[in-house]
Amino acid sequence: MSKQQSRFILNGSLTTFTWIIVLFTIFPIFYMVFASLHSNEDILRGITSFKLVDPKWENYRDMWINIDFFNFFKNSLIICTVTMLLASSFAVMAGYALAKYRFFGSKTLEMGIISTQMIPGIMFLLPIYLMFLGLKEVLGIPMINTYWGMILVYTAFYTPMSIWIMRSFFVAIPNDLEESALIDGCTRFQAFVKVILPLSVPGMIATCIYIFLTAWDELLFAWVLTTSPDVQTIPVGIRLFVGQYQNRYDLLMSAATVVTIPVIITFFLTQKYFIRGMTAGAVKG
Amino acid sequence: MQPATGSSGDDNQKFAIILHDFRKNRFAYALVLPTILFMLAVHLWPMLQGIWMSLLKLNQFTLNQYLKAPFVGMHNYTELLFNTSNPVRQGMQYALRNTAIYTVVVTIAVMACGLGTAMLMNRAFPGRAIARTALLLPWVVPSYVVGILWGFMWQKEGIINYVLVDVLHLLDDKPFWLIGSNTLWAIIIPTVWRSWPFLMIVFLAGLQTISDELYEAAEIDGANKFRQFMSITLPLLKPIIAVQLLFQIIYNVYSYNIVAMMFGNGSGYPGEWGDLVMTAMTRQTFGYWAFGSGSAASFMLMLIMFVIVGIWYRVFRSELNT
Repeated sequence: MSKQQSRFILNGSLTTFTWIIVLFTIFPIFYMVFASLHSNEDILRGITSFKLVDPKWENYRDMWINIDFFNFFKNSLIICTVTMLLASSFAVMAGYALAKYRFFGSKTLEMGIISTQMIPGIMFLLPIYLMFLGLKEVLGIPMINTYWGMILVYTAFYTPMSIWIMRSFFVAIPNDLEESALIDGCTRFQAFVKVILPLSVPGMIATCIYIFLTAWDELLFAWVLTTSPDVQTIPVGIRLFVGQYQNRYDLLMSAATVVTIPVIITFFLTQKYFIRGMTAGAVKG
Repeated sequence: MQPATGSSGDDNQKFAIILHDFRKNRFAYALVLPTILFMLAVHLWPMLQGIWMSLLKLNQFTLNQYLKAPFVGMHNYTELLFNTSNPVRQGMQYALRNTAIYTVVVTIAVMACGLGTAMLMNRAFPGRAIARTALLLPWVVPSYVVGILWGFMWQKEGIINYVLVDVLHLLDDKPFWLIGSNTLWAIIIPTVWRSWPFLMIVFLAGLQTISDELYEAAEIDGANKFRQFMSITLPLLKPIIAVQLLFQIIYNVYSYNIVAMMFGNGSGYPGEWGDLVMTAMTRQTFGYWAFGSGSAASFMLMLIMFVIVGIWYRVFRSELNT
């Protein structure tokens, strides 16, 4: 066997191996969609009674009725969108300042931003829970069971990491661009808005998706800080549903499919920016 | 301002420097001000309050007037360390053991799988772009869905037992995965499944910055593939490995969603082998309204994390400056 032949065989088997890994990895997602189209009796009887004919589309309708999914979906959408807008604005401003300026306290601020990531969430959860109770008691401002309470908490928690992503993006933009804008008579503010901001749009998209996906996934704070279905998000709604109907796997799998598909579609549409932004932050550290 | 002489002069001078710095960097200060205020209000203040709360006797009777709750000093800490009948203490030793095993196994597995697949994907082969996107899908699935989905697959009559027993005949009878010591595997494997695609992307980006010339030169010198991996790939990836290692440790120690969703509505107990620190602490603290003990426990968890980060920093200090 010539050297070329053996290299061909090696390459071919490595490629096959890679594809086997890919198929194994995405199998659970297909299985979820597959199971969501079967009746609960078939699911409980086991995979051998699964058949592709006669898909049970009514699972999707029943799930909508049983979970009151529209309400949770609306709450999640409002909370995550406002959080995304607020946190990314903070991240753009602070990330730019930290990337391009050395000022008194900038090192401390950078350290503070990173160290927030090391503190367990529950360390904040108990005091914030009490703080919210106290605000209601003393000032009469309702915080528990409000959109604003959740948005405030999420914005605070996702801002530090977002600043980090934006900062690594701004560092990569050369200083010459700003300097020539300053020579042309722009103020620092004008240089920032007219020259730097348009260039950082891909980074902003990556940051926004990061914030949105993370907030969409948050369970612990939403579980403790909301008790009314008027503000509860999807994970809380699904968790309540799991507690009530432990064994309705048909409805559970269709609910899981319904929350996963939009996220996957959004990811497909934006993955170019997202992968670039996330890896830039991760590789530079 | 004219700097005066003597010891107060140093202060004046320092003040003048700060003032000058403030004038020069006004724009930067304006940009970070909202973030600073926000972080003081929702990070620093609650953290200090949490530490203060850990010194109070806070339960369902004193909660409504928590500012007037009795001060008990280190009582909550000694309770947690020595009183085995304290509700928050109960089960915490299992939770700590599980979290330690879970974090070590998941972190190592995620890094190894991520690096391995990144090296496979770093070759040119048909459908590479599609394969890369497909591999990222588990990472996009929300983690509470991961808990539901794998909780379903681990059922006694579920797909995993079907494949292991009926198709591959690896086991004689179908084991329970969500009861007993198997439980730990039932939460480790889904976490690895969801986390490694991101590591793959990060390592792939790192691998692409290594120039091919290095490998060609090594080949000419007669170094085999393993030697090339040990002397070129690993050392050049070390800064990325260091940063990702820290993020993985933090993420896994504070893991919550998968366990909370996999074992029913969360007010239930996932069993001695499924309880992690975060699920145990949340359940016990809010279940028994033991806010003082809960705060003390979370403060001790934070101290443990600071020790881990300190060790990490000592080990990887030289990598981080590059």
